[in-house]
Amino acid sequence: MLARPAAEKGLNNYMNDMFAFDETDRKIVEQLRRNGRATNQQIAESLNLIASTVSTRIRRMEEAGMLRVVAVSDFAVHGYHILIHLAVQVSGRPALEVAEDLAVFPEVFAAHLVTGSYEISLLLTLRDIDELPPLITGTFAKVPGIKSMTPAVGLDIVRYALDTGPVDSRSAA
Amino acid sequence: MSRPELDDLDRQLIGILAQDARVSNRKIASDLGVNEGTVRGRIKRLQQEKLIAFTALTGMKLEKAANIAFMAIQADTAHVRRIARDIADIPLVKAVMIMLGPFNVMATCLYHDLDDLHRLASGRILEVEGVTHVETSLVVKTVKISNRVVRITDADTLSQG
Repeated sequence: MLARPAAEKGLNNYMNDMFAFDETDRKIVEQLRRNGRATNQQIAESLNLIASTVSTRIRRMEEAGMLRVVAVSDFAVHGYHILIHLAVQVSGRPALEVAEDLAVFPEVFAAHLVTGSYEISLLLTLRDIDELPPLITGTFAKVPGIKSMTPAVGLDIVRYALDTGPVDSRSAA
Repeated sequence: MSRPELDDLDRQLIGILAQDARVSNRKIASDLGVNEGTVRGRIKRLQQEKLIAFTALTGMKLEKAANIAFMAIQADTAHVRRIARDIADIPLVKAVMIMLGPFNVMATCLYHDLDDLHRLASGRILEVEGVTHVETSLVVKTVKISNRVVRITDADTLSQG
């Protein structure tokens, strides 16, 4: 399949909300997931495309905010030796406000609003267990609306690879 | 977890590649004032030591399964490692951690609709030998997510799922 007509390409540039992936896009992404440093030429050869199609489509997906090809790094690179899940129950305040207040702290690796017996799921990454007491009894204690926090300590990460989600974040890994 | 030996150059390299993995060795070399061979060698070492991996992060729109659920799983403690690995092999399961707490395995899964989720929770995860209970929490809003920091495994399972 060859590059899209220019008119269609132009349309996509200002209609990001309407951005749609086609099969060729998906195949290119699949190649990039396997090896993000594969050259356009290598990807083109394995998919029976021409290199310029590959580069145009990658750029188009990147510009639409739908794709980032990046190096991801292991927890070990960051020295995150301690991992704790906190199930947070909220009372007297909207859960979203509490979650947003908690999310600003660097120790909070992930924060989600969830359904179930608690409202906020937090994942904390710490370099040392000594960081925990001041975080809980000092930092988090100042956030209003927290009713309870139930911890679970991470003993081993068997798998952790969330390759979808917001891709616009430019925060360094 | 082991503590890798990383110098300033390694960290600069990781910083650059975390923004854009498709920048050429030549460009990195000239930006950092080192030669291209050094860049190539360092990248190779970081990959071999499973400290970095190159992959594509995509917006949820690309996925047919665009919703996230957390599964708090109770499993037989005597076989928890095997159970966690079995769960990690299930398609659409993106993260699995062995925990000490009210549950002993936590899984993060992607799903498309409730039928899909039911198949995953009751069909696949509860079917794993040794799993006794699965409590599912649906994510209604993601406030913060860190998809640049991962566990790089032997199998390298970064691709799809």
